[in-house]
This record gives sequence, structure tokens and C-alpha cells, in this order.
Amino acid sequence: MRYKTVTAAALALAATLSLSACGTGGEPAGADGSVADVSAPAEDKAATVLDRPFEKPDLVLTDTTGKPYDLRERTKGKPTLIYFGYTHCPDVCPLTMSNIAVARKQLPKADQDRLQVVFVTTDPERDTAAELAKWLPAAGDPSFVGLTGDFPTIQAGARQLGIGIEPSTEEQDGKIVSMHGTQVVAFSPKTDQGYVLYSEDTTPDDFAEDLPKIVKGENP
Amino acid sequence: MNRRTTSALAAALALAAGLGLAGCSASAPELKVDGAFMPQPVGDMAGGFLTVVNTGGTADRLTSVTSSLSDDVELHESKDGKMRQVTSLAVPADGELKLARGGDHLMFLDIKKQPKQGEEVDVELHFEKSEPISVRLPVKERTHNPDHR
Repeated sequence: MRYKTVTAAALALAATLSLSACGTGGEPAGADGSVADVSAPAEDKAATVLDRPFEKPDLVLTDTTGKPYDLRERTKGKPTLIYFGYTHCPDVCPLTMSNIAVARKQLPKADQDRLQVVFVTTDPERDTAAELAKWLPAAGDPSFVGLTGDFPTIQAGARQLGIGIEPSTEEQDGKIVSMHGTQVVAFSPKTDQGYVLYSEDTTPDDFAEDLPKIVKGENP
Repeated sequence: MNRRTTSALAAALALAAGLGLAGCSASAPELKVDGAFMPQPVGDMAGGFLTVVNTGGTADRLTSVTSSLSDDVELHESKDGKMRQVTSLAVPADGELKLARGGDHLMFLDIKKQPKQGEEVDVELHFEKSEPISVRLPVKERTHNPDHR
């Protein structure tokens, strides 16, 4: 992302340079808005609103209390954020959960209660219900839902949201390598469809800005 | 003839050595550590982030990290949602090794205590060529990310 930004900046610079080179004696470059087009990088926005939203996956998994949790039934008509990650993850997974937790606290109380934040483990072998119950309140918030189950079910659910995850693998030295999804998917309370994606680069401020709209099912 | 060749060779060698030495002292890796921090950990592991700036003309490699917080500090490369332990990370000549959120990082396993925000964690960075560097990582909030300001 850093690299991309630099590239974008370089491209923008190059564009500006070539534009000003072409524009000798003419109007200042950008008078027609062409420079503005180049330097308005759409990727700077944290949210990607999907043209074709995702159906909510038909997932029944186990929550942190060890009871079955039917995703469609439990989150029906509620604004919902879903993330696939694992607890033996020192950086991105707790960061993502913390970012959402910080932003959620800025919502009015009623909206906080409506917003469902669902963390689905990609490493169910290590992430038991008990492990998730320990980790999730610390990494995110006690209100967050943590789900575990058998890997093929989780993988199929992720795939329905365009998120590719592979099972954890054991390296030769016995270390276990797991992977997390790279996106948070937001579901609208109006349509129950996943209509916005958030990348790993999304900041607490980005979430804080968008969540008031997400809880209403509006485009951020 | 033989002698002349030898002395010419010796001179050439001396010159080369001189150049080599001069080149060497001018371009040895010169490392400085910047922007180090540790987000307050969750559970029994922690991540660490910092930038190693190399103003020298020679590349170096970060080969290991020790800390009183953990007996097992790993170097991790992160790509496409997967992180993998690596044996070393490159510090390019006149460049930097940037360990940043979402990217490459230090991973502290089985941490011996839970450092809290405001505390500091000591680490020692070991390099292939340069002398070890001691750094203190201030513990920051979990969402801390200096790249997003």
C-alpha cells in the first residue's frame, strides 16, 4: 500500500510534469480539471462500495460460549461487520479488531448495540471457543462475536465473500503458519447484503467516519 | 623480471587494498534505528515495529533480535494475509528496513509479562556486519500506527 501510494504519487508527479510540459504558453495545467482527475486517487478512500454486493453466507458455527451461532438468523436486519482472522496473529488481526472497537465506541449507544461485529477464526484448530473468549474482548470488545468451527465450513463462508483463506500449515520446525483475510465486509441492515469492503489499511478514524452510515445501510 | 612482476603486483595489490579499505571505510553500513514501538499486546505474543536506516553505502542484514520480554523473538515477513518466519531481513545500502503495521515485523512469542501502554520493552538488534544496536520500544495503544496520521 505504501508502495502503491508512492507509485501513485510518482505517476501524479509525472503526469503533472508532462502536463506542464505540454501546456507551455497555454492555460495553467489543470484548468480543465485534468490534473485534479489524476491527483484524486480513489484508493485513498478506505471503503470500497461494491457494485454487486455479497449475499450473507449461510454459516452456522460455534460462538465463544460454545453454542451454535447461525449468522443469518442472528444478524438479520442488523448492521454487521465480518472479519476472518486468528488469535496467534501479532499485528493485523488485533489491530483490525481494535480499530473497529475504537470507532464503535464513538457511535450513539443504541447504534453500538445494533452493530454486530463478527470475528471468524481462520485457525479453528488453535482457536477454540475458549481461546476466542479470552482473546476477543482484549483485542476488540466484549460485545464482539467470535466464531469457530470446522475449517472447510469457514473456508466456504469466506469464499462466498471473495475472501480466500487456506488451512494452517505446519512448517518443518513445527511452527504453525496461519493466514487472515485482508478485508472487513460490512453488511447493510436494510438488505442484509455485504456491500462495503474495508482493507487492512483502514484506520480507526476511517471506521469512525463510516460507521454512522453503515448502521443505517447507507453508502459511506 | 620475476622480481619486477612481483613488486608490480605488490604495488597493485597495495593500491587495490588501499582503495578497498578506503572504499570500505567510506561505505560500511551505518545504521540508526528510528520510530520503534510495540502495540500493547493481546495474549501471549507481541509485535514490534521499527525502521533501520542505513546511511552507509553497504547493505547489511538484520539477523536476530533478543529481548528480556521473550526468549523467542522472530523476524516475520507478511504478505497477502500470511506471515512467515525468515532468518534475516535486508537493510539495503543507503536505504532502510521498515518494519510497519500490516507488513514485516518482529514477533515476540511466549512473552514473560504483559507490557502496558507507557512502559518500554528493551530489545537488541543483531546484524550480519554491524555491531548490535540496543533499542527501547515504547508500548503504544493497540491501534497505534505512525503511518496513519
